[in-house]
Amino acid sequence: MKLLLLEDDPDTREHVSKILRAAGHVIDACANGPDAIFLGTTNSYAVLILDRMVPGVDGLSVLKALRSAGNLTPAIFLTAMDNVDDRVEGLETGADDYLVKPFAGSELLARVAALGRRPPIADTATILLVADLEVDLLKRTVTRAGRRIDLQQQEYKLLEYLMRHAGEIVTRTMLLENVWSFHFDPGTNLIESHMSRLRAKVDRGFDRDLIHTVRNAGYRLDAES
Amino acid sequence: MRKVSLLRSGAFRFAILIAAIFAIGTGVLLAQVERSVNRYATEVASDSVAAEIAVLRGEDRAAGRTQLIQSITLREQAVREHQIRYLLLDSQAHRLAGSIPAAEARVGSYDLVLPAIDRGNESDAATVSLMTLGVRLDDGAILVVGSDTSELRDLRQTLGLSTMEFGIGISLLALIGGLVVGTIFLRRLDRVNHAVGRIMQGSLSERLPAIGMSAEFDELSTNLNRMLDRIESLMAGLRQVSTDIAHDLRTPLTRLRQRLEDMKEGLGGSEPVIEEQIETAIAQTDSILAIFRALLRISLLEAGAGKQRFAEVDLSEMLDRVFHAYLPVAEDAHQVLSADIEPAVKVRGDAELLTQAVTNLIENALVHTPTGSHICLSVGRRAGGVALTVADDGPGIPAEERAKVLRRFYRLDVSRHSPGAGLGLAIVSAIAALHEAQISLADNCPGLRVEITFRNLANLV
Repeated sequence: MKLLLLEDDPDTREHVSKILRAAGHVIDACANGPDAIFLGTTNSYAVLILDRMVPGVDGLSVLKALRSAGNLTPAIFLTAMDNVDDRVEGLETGADDYLVKPFAGSELLARVAALGRRPPIADTATILLVADLEVDLLKRTVTRAGRRIDLQQQEYKLLEYLMRHAGEIVTRTMLLENVWSFHFDPGTNLIESHMSRLRAKVDRGFDRDLIHTVRNAGYRLDAES
Repeated sequence: MRKVSLLRSGAFRFAILIAAIFAIGTGVLLAQVERSVNRYATEVASDSVAAEIAVLRGEDRAAGRTQLIQSITLREQAVREHQIRYLLLDSQAHRLAGSIPAAEARVGSYDLVLPAIDRGNESDAATVSLMTLGVRLDDGAILVVGSDTSELRDLRQTLGLSTMEFGIGISLLALIGGLVVGTIFLRRLDRVNHAVGRIMQGSLSERLPAIGMSAEFDELSTNLNRMLDRIESLMAGLRQVSTDIAHDLRTPLTRLRQRLEDMKEGLGGSEPVIEEQIETAIAQTDSILAIFRALLRISLLEAGAGKQRFAEVDLSEMLDRVFHAYLPVAEDAHQVLSADIEPAVKVRGDAELLTQAVTNLIENALVHTPTGSHICLSVGRRAGGVALTVADDGPGIPAEERAKVLRRFYRLDVSRHSPGAGLGLAIVSAIAALHEAQISLADNCPGLRVEITFRNLANLV
């Protein structure tokens, strides 16, 4: 994917660019707001990665400017400001995601991949299907190979999120934020406990596993292992 | 503090202002009285002139012109309190009677000033003011009657003069009074200013004296003192944070440094640097950063950040969600988690922060109780408030330690080797304080019972 990176700290810019390039992305990196606005309006990107605190025009204003010019490219803020107000402000400006520094490379990659996915699964889809696993969003039922699987409410939400991001890596933090609305690290292995129960119901007793653990990154629900 | 001179002082300006207000007030009063007196006197004069005309006209009709001339002459000579003067001209403009000059023989009402007729009486004025009314009689003769308004003029002058004297007196008194009150007030403000000066010089525990004068001023100084209390506690918090960072981050940073040094030793040596070592180093860095984040979060909470985002929070729904999130975690840890949730219990607050508070309490209970322990969550209405409780039947916290565990980095000796940095309860405490809720740690007989009570009616929904 072609990505725009706005980051004023040269070390971080290099580090982030390297991580993204290693994952096969093409990066346009710039160090200040006006450059970011220029690049954002003259090029087409899959995802905008914006640092909030940069000299001159800050990241928030860059996104405001691009959004008011009709640019709807998915955007993710990278920031050292991690209080709730900052996050809310960022999302209200039109950012699609928010990642607090410092972050793991795998976390950024997973989020950028989720944002840049084309085309996104329409919110109007009523059935999610991966291999022989089917989730009916209207009836809220789950079946695998025609066999009905009973899930607890939170297990269902977890599976739905994995299905919507089938084939992609989802990180623990993404799951905490999107399934449990926990915008903080609870510390214990909350995700692991839920995931092991979900796996027991979805994968156990079937010929192949659909939920995979990605080492040092998170999880992936995929027909291929 | 700069000493201000009297003339430039607020007290002087205040006094001048008061005096000016009194002066203007007196002026307005004078004008108003003058107008009323004038209107009244004019009415009286014109009434008497009109009555006089009516009487004379009647006499003219009933008794004839000669009688009228006689009557006028008699009236002219009569000495009365109010002088009335007359003029009667026949249709050929010959004077028949009266002392008003023939030139003034006009129909209608006029104001005249005439030389006084010297009768050797009390009036020493050289002129008299007359208010005249002229009418044409049936045969074309002109009758003019004028009433003396000189006394009215005198009255107005006297009135004006005494009002002026009175006004100046009042204004002077106001000036003096204002100066006295202002000086007292200024002196009290000066005391407050001195206190402020001492506070600015660093004696942060100094407080402002009461200003006195009135309840409003005292309220002002009370409020300022409360603001100072808040500032002092915020500054104490800030100092605490810096001290905490200095002391408590040293240990994990030292550990990290040792690991990195070990790895460097291992480079090219017999023990190669393995990925696991690097991963441990990253994990250590992450935990240091997590401590930073938690400390910043606590100080932000203590500064009151997030209060403006308060909205209605359904505690029952929130606790149910957290309960189900932790059910499998407790199960995996071989502990029993149960919940007693009264439906639709709501408060005003920040849903995310309250979720974090409950989560921290549950995490604490999970970490600090042995296998097989029972942890119970509950939310419900109590007399005069709402209570959110996390209780366990683990080892509990000794009574004398309960207040201390709410502090940053405080850890019981028994839990020194379990994971965590001793910030969980400090965050809970800060979140409770932000919501003006009380946090209490009690003996659950056995175990620990942490209760967050929302008593502030403004925050109850």
